Amino acid sequence: MSDLAIKTVNLTKRYSGLWSKQPVDAVKNLNLEVHRGEIFGFLGPNGAGKTTTIKVLLGIIYPTEGEAYVLGKPAGDPKNHYRISYLPENPYFYDFMTGREILTFYAKLFGIPEPQRSKRVNELLDRVGLSRAADQPLRTYSKGMQQRIGLAQCLINDPELLILDEPTAGLDPIAHIDIRDMILDLRDQGKTLFISSHQLSDVERVCDRVAILNKGVMVQLGRIEELLAGGHVEVIADKVPDNAVEPIRQLGGKVSLHDGRLIVEQPDNGSVDRVIDIVRAAGGHIISVKPYRRSLEDLFVETIQGGKNA
Amino acid sequence: MNATFAIAGATFGEAVRKRILMVILLVALLIILISPAFEPFAAGRGARTLIISFGFGVIQLAGTFIAIIMCTGMIPTEIERRTIYTILSKPVQRYQFVLGKFFGAVGTLGFMYLMMGIVFMIASRMALGELEPKIVRGLIMFFFQSSLLAAVVLFFSTFVSPLVNYFLSGGVFLLGNLLSSFLETIQRNPEVTPITRIPVQLLTVILPNFANFNVQNPIINPEQVLTDEFAYLVQTLAYAVVYIALLLVASMLIFNQREM
Ligand SMILES: Nc1ncnc2c1ncn2[C@@H]1O[C@H](COP(=O)(O)OP(=O)(O)O)[C@@H](O)[C@H]1O
Ligand SMILES: [Mg+2]
Repeated sequence: MSDLAIKTVNLTKRYSGLWSKQPVDAVKNLNLEVHRGEIFGFLGPNGAGKTTTIKVLLGIIYPTEGEAYVLGKPAGDPKNHYRISYLPENPYFYDFMTGREILTFYAKLFGIPEPQRSKRVNELLDRVGLSRAADQPLRTYSKGMQQRIGLAQCLINDPELLILDEPTAGLDPIAHIDIRDMILDLRDQGKTLFISSHQLSDVERVCDRVAILNKGVMVQLGRIEELLAGGHVEVIADKVPDNAVEPIRQLGGKVSLHDGRLIVEQPDNGSVDRVIDIVRAAGGHIISVKPYRRSLEDLFVETIQGGKNA
Repeated sequence: MNATFAIAGATFGEAVRKRILMVILLVALLIILISPAFEPFAAGRGARTLIISFGFGVIQLAGTFIAIIMCTGMIPTEIERRTIYTILSKPVQRYQFVLGKFFGAVGTLGFMYLMMGIVFMIASRMALGELEPKIVRGLIMFFFQSSLLAAVVLFFSTFVSPLVNYFLSGGVFLLGNLLSSFLETIQRNPEVTPITRIPVQLLTVILPNFANFNVQNPIINPEQVLTDEFAYLVQTLAYAVVYIALLLVASMLIFNQREM
């Protein structure tokens, strides 16, 4: 059995625009490998091709070139869908149904018979905190509640692989945290998660690996720690005489001094002690020493803008 | 099969909540209910013919509008609202989706015809003093006519927009109602050359023949005398079933290739 949950080989999806429009390569030569049990962040700005890739993985659209496999089978095989689940971007459900009815509907699509079906639906309503709203029609639900129904709908079949497209987009901060906790919960259960997002702070805390996509092309791939290696330590000091600046400059990093206030951005942890020694020896006061990790946002902006300049 | 019926159930649930369809149904029910008031305008046999004919006319018209309005948006709306994404990401084959939509449409039509049929029988019974046996047969015929029309609309909806679909399926319904008698007329006329006749003949065969279902209406088909009514009924219904099956297969093949 393959240990890959998702694999694409030179996947290209071209939208052949109408007569007036140029054809667009929404995804170009994508080679993706997501391992089982991994939480994989699929990142990129709007229009990067994330949703397009996901639709190919689910067989909603077909590749123009290349291949896509999910859990070792060609993408889009409905039999495979017993083991996977999908939360679309801005999901929308039949809003004339109640929360309970819609989950029952999806359970029927899996062929789950009674009495397991009602039991499962009740469990899920409870799990996403919608037991009290279960018998209200979805059209009365808030965005956050709709998203919870979306997640509940994803969990009906106890899937091995969950594909979540922008699961936190447009949610308020509380709903954000709820969703994040659920994702972490699922990770603890050993599920594979493939999460697309253009909001990086969420992904940073939960993902093992990320890929960054820009204009259909994968521009970064790696473990979060590796991609974010290389932050800096910021040292701020007061009452530092001018003559202390030169030796600090020689240690490297960014140094500035105004009216005795010194700010140093030192990329090398080992040199931070030296900076402090020099400041104290010169009669200055250390105010703060703060490590700054590089954020995914920094990397993202560097990568995307780097791509633009090239 | 489970999935197909779940989709059919959801389709039915959504259709019977659609305001426009309910308005058509209620208006039709109302007209059928008050139709016996026309009785004084005709005497004897005439009154009977008028009431039956009028009732069938209203039911057929309502069934036609319901079938077209309900089915044009059935698949396009699912794609537009993206409700289809979560459905196709479950273990649902695309053909099951199409089949579920069709069964849901037929279920809705069945429900509507049942309502209209019951009211029609009550109203005509009160007016005529007895139950006209033609009514049940006529209802079955028109129900199958509407179901065939629903299959035509659903077929077009797999590749054209709802607006285009209104014209296409409306046109097919009209032609399918008129072509067979038009063909008869030109076949009787020796002046019509084969160059005109053959295309008409071809169209008559290819397009669904909706006229077959109209025989129960004594005003539209006054001179129609059926020697064996039962055989005719079975034959016409079999025609509908076969034609529907062909349309569904074509719809599934097109829908299978479709991107969303
Ligand atoms: N159905 C479609 N027809 C034509 N172009 C499309 C279609 N869907 C998406 N695109 C184009 O493909 C590109 C990628 O879109 P998408 O995959 O939705 O990006 P993302 O999900 O990363 O925001 C965009 O340029 C978008 O305009
Ligand atoms: Mg997207």
